[in-house]
Amino acid sequence: MRHSLAILTALALGLTGGAALADYPERAISVMVPFGAGGGTDVPARFFAAEMEKILGQNIIVSNVEGAGGTVGATQLSRADADGYNLGFMPVGTTTTQPHLKRTKYNADSWTPICMVSQGPFYLVVKEDSPIKTVDDLIAKTKADGLKFAGAGPGSMAHVAQLTLNNKLGINTQYIPTKGGGDIATEIDGGRADATAWFSDFNTKFGWRALAVMDSQRSEQHPDVPTLAELGYDTQVSVWFGFFAPAGTPDEVIGTLSDACAKAVATKTFADNMAGANRLVRYMPTDEFGPFFREAFELNGQLLEEAGLIKK
Amino acid sequence: MENLATAIAQFAGLEVLVAIAIGCVWGTLAGALPGMGTVAALIVALPFTFSMTTEASLALFLGIYVTSVYGGSISAILINTPGTPQSAATVLDGYPMAKAGKADLAIGWATISSLIGGIFSLIVLIIAAPALARVSVAFGPAAIFALILFALTCIAWVSTGSAIKGLMGGMIGLWLTTIGPDDLTGYTRFDFGLEALAGGLSLIPVLIGLFALSEVFQRAAYYFAAKPPDVTNVGFRLPPFSEMRQRVWQFLQSSVIGTFIGILPGTGATAATFISYSQLRRTSPRKENFGKGEPDGLIASEASNNAVTGGALIPTLALGIPGDGGTVVLLGVLTIQGVVPGFDLINNNPQLLTGSFLIILIANLIMFGIGVIGARIFARILSAPEPLLMGMILIFSLVGAFVVRGNPVDVLVAVIAGIAGLILRFAGYPIAPIVIGMALGTTFEGKLRQGMISAQGNFVEFIFDPIALFILAVTIAVVTVPVISKRRSKAS
Repeated sequence: MRHSLAILTALALGLTGGAALADYPERAISVMVPFGAGGGTDVPARFFAAEMEKILGQNIIVSNVEGAGGTVGATQLSRADADGYNLGFMPVGTTTTQPHLKRTKYNADSWTPICMVSQGPFYLVVKEDSPIKTVDDLIAKTKADGLKFAGAGPGSMAHVAQLTLNNKLGINTQYIPTKGGGDIATEIDGGRADATAWFSDFNTKFGWRALAVMDSQRSEQHPDVPTLAELGYDTQVSVWFGFFAPAGTPDEVIGTLSDACAKAVATKTFADNMAGANRLVRYMPTDEFGPFFREAFELNGQLLEEAGLIKK
Repeated sequence: MENLATAIAQFAGLEVLVAIAIGCVWGTLAGALPGMGTVAALIVALPFTFSMTTEASLALFLGIYVTSVYGGSISAILINTPGTPQSAATVLDGYPMAKAGKADLAIGWATISSLIGGIFSLIVLIIAAPALARVSVAFGPAAIFALILFALTCIAWVSTGSAIKGLMGGMIGLWLTTIGPDDLTGYTRFDFGLEALAGGLSLIPVLIGLFALSEVFQRAAYYFAAKPPDVTNVGFRLPPFSEMRQRVWQFLQSSVIGTFIGILPGTGATAATFISYSQLRRTSPRKENFGKGEPDGLIASEASNNAVTGGALIPTLALGIPGDGGTVVLLGVLTIQGVVPGFDLINNNPQLLTGSFLIILIANLIMFGIGVIGARIFARILSAPEPLLMGMILIFSLVGAFVVRGNPVDVLVAVIAGIAGLILRFAGYPIAPIVIGMALGTTFEGKLRQGMISAQGNFVEFIFDPIALFILAVTIAVVTVPVISKRRSKAS
């Protein structure tokens, strides 16, 4: 599923260079999403793009450039002209774990982070009829006869969650990599894996049960689910989505986009759309998101290196 | 019943009807255009759903989903170019039938088969969705691995002429899928340091090259030497009822195979068509006519690929697990609308489910109507002078190859595949096995590795799964029994 008719449209609308910065934006802006249409990254991206379009007064074309954990699209974007007309909506994995895992041609210095748009914590979940009722049960089961923890490919955020749990809980679960999404659900529902890390729709979508949420506070959607911190294991793993420009994009342009982003996430339609799709809005302005992004980049690099996932 | 009444009340309305109609017309058209296909057709419609009601969005998307699978058969029959990979097997008998001056009848068979396959799987979806959804998750990596191994043996039955040449084609197809990012880890393989290959080869540009472009090249080569065979009698003709009645068993087998493969996550319609084709080729009383324009061949492909739609919706709606590429996008649309497919939909929103069934039923009927009317329009297009027609196919093919993922390299891939396809045609190699290899390779490898990691590298532990062992036994029987019985009859 790697389609992007949007690119055609972008070509049709004319990617003629040489724009005067003062008038930015004066033509269509392309927002690259490194995953498939209708997917976890694409949905908030399209809601966000729809608001930005109204605020900036120019067409925004969402293009899906899929492949290899989002690195295909991110690599393309990192090489695009840094003129403010090539932007990206990318998740934590593509920007902070993939560069460590693969020798991508981009790294933390390739981007100017504009703002964080959405964030959702991971829940530690099991099948409804699983004998594992609490985090203590999970620890006991792992120590007694091992535990299979399903997730997307090696180095994915679910894998980061599993590694973090292993560290903090002092256990040694076995990671079962899959293609992600539906394949994880097939393994859990089929009883071939015991647990996974999933988002807040674990119960409505799959009828699963959460043992804990990997966040500093309980969520509004699931107030009954304890945080890992409450249980004595201080650990937070979440998936966030941010709006990025390639490094070298002029400061005035970043300023314009940063202001527009603040307005976009505050609109009622954006809030309604996100709430309707069960997604959490989390805004972080440019001056805060920049350092946050760098810290996440370093931290995840360390974690993956300790797990022996980085080939030297 | 009460549920049905609520669903009708909720869905009846101009917006929903218009959405189904537009969805069906667009779906058929997109299916017929090489390179567009189901997923691309759905994505084009995605932004429109933002401002539509949930019911209308579902109508638009299910309409496109159901009809795009059918649309691919039209170009497969008339211009020897499957519009979508799901219709690759339709070429095998559809085009020979068209060349024999029975294009209208071929379209008729394809349309009626699609309708029967679609309705059959819809009935299964209505009756048994929750129960069959449980079956679908019982198929672990080992079982899917075994099933794909079974599907790969179909190469022997779709290879006209030499089976060895067919197997070589299948191997080439499997190898081609190993280029680019590894499905499980994302590490790049066999890219030879070329940026162009780092993203891997997409099936559709290769398909466009092998079928559409090589057809254009071959016609160009023959154009100056000899007159190519004309496709005449384009239109729509319903096959005689007596012939249809003779083939009830074939309709049923193909529909069951399609529905069942659809239920299993990650296999999809292309695999279903080839499994169904080889099954009928083995068992049909008219098996010696396969590859020469036998209606059974069309039934095998078109009934099964449309049956996949209902099958694939079973895990999608009941479990939130997409059954194929099209249902992945469908899940996305439902999510945008705030509907969570799976647990919640089945338990708290049954009228939405019933509404979806109604839409699929109407979409299947509209599809039949489009087949009847649309065939006349296609006849007009095909009556254009050949150089003009070939030029049009060339343009659509190259644009189609580009559109798939917006990668200019794919255009080059299509051209290279076109030249390769031309050489293979002259050398007498069948093209379909390469497509089978490519369509199945990624899942084949991915499931093997996923299962092996889970079994910590122990192959015996991996394969020791009752379903997998059963499928392997069937596979071995299907491959060896004909050989053994041939030896025996020779010996006696």
